[in-house]
Amino acid sequence: MVTLAMHMIDIVQNALRAQANMITITLDERGDESLLLFQVEDDGSGMSPEILERLSDPFFTTRTTRRVGLGIPFLKMTCEQTGGTLRVSSAEGEGTTVEALYRTDNPDCLPLGDLEGSLLLMVMANPGIRFRFTYRVGPEVFSFDSDALREQGIDLQHPQLVVPVKDYIRENLEALWRHRATVNYLC
Amino acid sequence: MMEKRTGIKTLADLKRIQEEVSRRIGLRDKAENPESLVQVKVAMATCGIASGAKEVMEYLVLELDKRGIDAVVTQTGCMGYCFAEPTVEITLPGREPMVFGDVNPKRADEIIERYIKNGELVDGIIPQNYNTIES
Repeated sequence: MVTLAMHMIDIVQNALRAQANMITITLDERGDESLLLFQVEDDGSGMSPEILERLSDPFFTTRTTRRVGLGIPFLKMTCEQTGGTLRVSSAEGEGTTVEALYRTDNPDCLPLGDLEGSLLLMVMANPGIRFRFTYRVGPEVFSFDSDALREQGIDLQHPQLVVPVKDYIRENLEALWRHRATVNYLC
Repeated sequence: MMEKRTGIKTLADLKRIQEEVSRRIGLRDKAENPESLVQVKVAMATCGIASGAKEVMEYLVLELDKRGIDAVVTQTGCMGYCFAEPTVEITLPGREPMVFGDVNPKRADEIIERYIKNGELVDGIIPQNYNTIES
């Protein structure tokens, strides 16, 4: 995984597999502490304490198609290599929250990557799922809610809306990044 | 490849684009009869993502529309073919699903032109010795 956007798709795929109906993605830049919180919260089936305990073991998976489960171990590795931490909380029948904390003043911090394209593909490919995406830079916030856009008549499944919606997200993210008080390794 | 930006910043801009698109081509309700459409599933588990599945999926979404092919592109989990990622499963109307491995935008172009448009077999087909695909 070479960008945070790739981790985002990966963790969201886990939420989809857990039959989530609503997936909330939060990126929170805390410039004064040189931290980035990357959080994915879902209302899916959740995990038992036994599964939760083995989550960062790359040779453990609940899948039957292969014998390794690398999504969470990779996320743990990339945040810990910056001096950050990974925390996963889950309750059966209630959902799961994955929180990765990155130190953004560490050169090993991953670039953000194509957040807007990745988000939009997930929204397009999963029309029945509500995606809420929030990006914060200090007090400044950009929010994207797939249901709210659909209510406004925006057809997020239409291929010809891909580029405009991507641009809409990108323009707003770039406006947000101009509020960064400190330089960091995210880009 | 750098995409040309459209400068869309507000929800009002998006609604304007939506209206233009609706006026120009009309919006198709693909959910009504998915069996009549080409169904494309891109494997987007860790192995697929690391191998470039996102770029393949984006290419397929945009190119199928540009070439006027009615298709539904969705994502799926790992099919167990990590060695051949990115993998794409394509179901043509009335046919059995076919899985293609090592797909990149260039190969996706060939799959669209030869398999989806003409039903010709192309290199990279993974034999169907699996039971089901995880959805």
